[in-house]
Amino acid sequence: MEQTALWFLMAWLDPGLLLMVAAGTFAGIYIGAIPGLSVTMAVSILISFTFKWPVDDALALIAGIFVGGVYGGARSAILLNIPGAPSAVATAFDGYPLAQRGEAGRAIGVATVMSVVGGLMGVLALALAAPVIARFALLVAPRDYLLLAMIGILLVGSLAGKSLARGIFAGALGVTIGMVGLDPMTAEGRFTFGSLSLMGGIPYVAAMIGFFGVAEALYQLRHLDLEPVKQRVGSLLPDWRVVKKLLPLSLRTGAIGVVIGALPGTGGDIAALMAYDHAKRTVKEPTSPFGEGAYEGLVAPESANNAAVGGAYIPMLTLGIPGDAVTAVIIGALYIHGLKPGPLLMVETPHLFWFTVGSLTLANLCLLVFGLTGIRIFTKLVECPKGILIPLILVLSAVGTYAIQNNPVDIYWMLGFGILGYFMKVYDYPVAPVILGVILGPLMDVSYRRAMISARDDPLTFASEFVTAPISLGLTLFLLAIILGQTPLWSKLRGR
Amino acid sequence: MIRNLLGAAAALSLVAGVATAQDFPEREMLGVIMWGAGGATDVVARGVTPAVEEALGKPIVMLNKAGAAGAISVAYVNAAPADGYTLLYGAENPQLHGVMGLSELDYGSFYPVNILGRGVAVVVVQADAPWQSFKELVEDAQARPGEIKMASTGPGGLPYVVAALLNSVAPHEVTAVPFDGEGPGLTALQGGHVDFMPAGISAAAELIKGGQLRALTVVNAESVDTFPDVPPITDEFPEMAKYLPWGPFYGVWVRDETPDDVKAKLVEAFRAGAESEAFQTLMANRGNVMMNISGDEADAFLDNWQSVTTWVLHDGGATKRSPEEFGIPRP
Repeated sequence: MEQTALWFLMAWLDPGLLLMVAAGTFAGIYIGAIPGLSVTMAVSILISFTFKWPVDDALALIAGIFVGGVYGGARSAILLNIPGAPSAVATAFDGYPLAQRGEAGRAIGVATVMSVVGGLMGVLALALAAPVIARFALLVAPRDYLLLAMIGILLVGSLAGKSLARGIFAGALGVTIGMVGLDPMTAEGRFTFGSLSLMGGIPYVAAMIGFFGVAEALYQLRHLDLEPVKQRVGSLLPDWRVVKKLLPLSLRTGAIGVVIGALPGTGGDIAALMAYDHAKRTVKEPTSPFGEGAYEGLVAPESANNAAVGGAYIPMLTLGIPGDAVTAVIIGALYIHGLKPGPLLMVETPHLFWFTVGSLTLANLCLLVFGLTGIRIFTKLVECPKGILIPLILVLSAVGTYAIQNNPVDIYWMLGFGILGYFMKVYDYPVAPVILGVILGPLMDVSYRRAMISARDDPLTFASEFVTAPISLGLTLFLLAIILGQTPLWSKLRGR
Repeated sequence: MIRNLLGAAAALSLVAGVATAQDFPEREMLGVIMWGAGGATDVVARGVTPAVEEALGKPIVMLNKAGAAGAISVAYVNAAPADGYTLLYGAENPQLHGVMGLSELDYGSFYPVNILGRGVAVVVVQADAPWQSFKELVEDAQARPGEIKMASTGPGGLPYVVAALLNSVAPHEVTAVPFDGEGPGLTALQGGHVDFMPAGISAAAELIKGGQLRALTVVNAESVDTFPDVPPITDEFPEMAKYLPWGPFYGVWVRDETPDDVKAKLVEAFRAGAESEAFQTLMANRGNVMMNISGDEADAFLDNWQSVTTWVLHDGGATKRSPEEFGIPRP
């Protein structure tokens, strides 16, 4: 017990490690805020830098960057409507309307506090229930991923705005973009026209930056003469009453984040979307309608994506299985440092588990400090004249897109999507379902086919598995309940 | 436009190349890794590089350029100037790109600076699976065709090729469920969603040691140091010997047209890097077999690997184009 406490406090008591965590969190916030610069990228670059460091220093720095980076995406989402990372896409839905109302400072404050709440929930789950959750994550079958993706794709209905048909069109466009490239099952080219650049697929971050960042920048050119919204920066610390009201939602969506983060096939991006969906379904009286600046719509994805960090560490530390892209890179780093990630990691290097829990906790506390300071300067960004802000956004978008895989072709894609997104906005087509389709489409594709192949292409076996396996049955019932809950029949029954 | 620029850059570097070859390297180099961060190729590439940087005295900037099973990286390095400043860190995949209809480029257009090592495949099942030997599993698959599920990583991937090799000596039928890579496949195996998987030892070793999975056989002519008790596949299927050694491999290439003295400097530096203690430990931990070969020796290995693998895939009906079209001889 004493030993455990010492391991937990390692990063707190050693000034060097403390500095690593703090510096990592601080850097992470800014890396995360720039679209295209991702945590995965930062961590893989760091591996070369930290090669000769002690492994603890490297892990402390990575933990900080991970926590800070996942949060950082929210800032640009709220202020500029450009999610800094895919996990912040849902944050933009309500965060940006809040900034337009002049409440950017408060929105960032609430997002910070609730990110930390979610983050600490993730750490708590890691500390207390890691083996159980990891076992559960293994049992999730391909068909369950299909069900999860289907539940997620229903969000198109919520994001569609005025016309469902237009929402579905946008979602389908996203799915199509996600399909481009080599078929993940058979390596057959899809929509590649024999071009090598297309065989690698279209990175979904390029689509995200195009449809959100560039499209938004172009759209704002229409109102160049419009005075920027004056931001109220009076009280940045969120009101305790607001926090108390939002806390239950934050805890619920944090739980979603932990589980989705721990599943090896899904990460923070899907966790945040599902959390937003959950908030929209369960909160009957939001502070404003969803999509127009509801604090609930901001809190749900932010709690979930930070909770997913702790979740992603769960299968990594207990079984050596990455919970998401970042932990996959961390596993590679552990190998390079001479460790052997796997079920025996906790036996061979017993301090690693509690040390990680400790540094993640510390990183979340650092996040609270760094997240609540500097908001004033950040919100000034929105008050910046459009003539300065818009070119800046465009340059950042291009740099960020190029950084994904150093491929200039991605910049062309991003610009093309930006122009398309602009016209979609002009003609009142929602762009958010496109990103939903790009993220969830490929997951549905491979999960469905994997499940079907596992059932030996027998539709009857395939269908029966949805009710015979307990996890699948639960998810199927949940999916049906969501769909039935929206039908006129149900409202009639309730009305009676 | 871009092609023109590249061409101009190439021409410039040719002019410059004559003067600078002795002083190579004068500036930092670019290392293009054909698979994503955290993957088997990435770990080997980033593992060997620090010692190589020390030997060369200049840094190597590492860049992951995954996509199209490595074909994008191969095309990228092939379009860069042949001055030794752009290195290709790759795995076995380009040797199959021709027959899989992905790209005409394979390692034939490149010079092997060092083939660092190769992985050995191991067939794993869940710890409590009914089969006690690989032969039992194959016989069961013959008795119940298609009912046993194998985790695969898609056509041309390791599980697929191992199954095809085995199929040519012991015809059997399993249902191959493709996953995104060895890691996700092994995860599905632990969850009981598939029944067995031929995987690289590097991916499976810790799971076997941890008792999550059980190894039935190693796909090698003799047992390996990591698991001395696991029988080699030739014990039960002696005919497999003609295909062995077979496995994924990892190495470093530059364009064939690179000046000879630059090649020699790189070969020397990477040999030193491969011999470094840290890299040796890394490879041993991952259950890889060190090779550390270059030049003609490496070319012979590459040719043999390509001939064995493409023809087995072709005979199993898995290729889009015949190896004959590329002048690959039958083994």
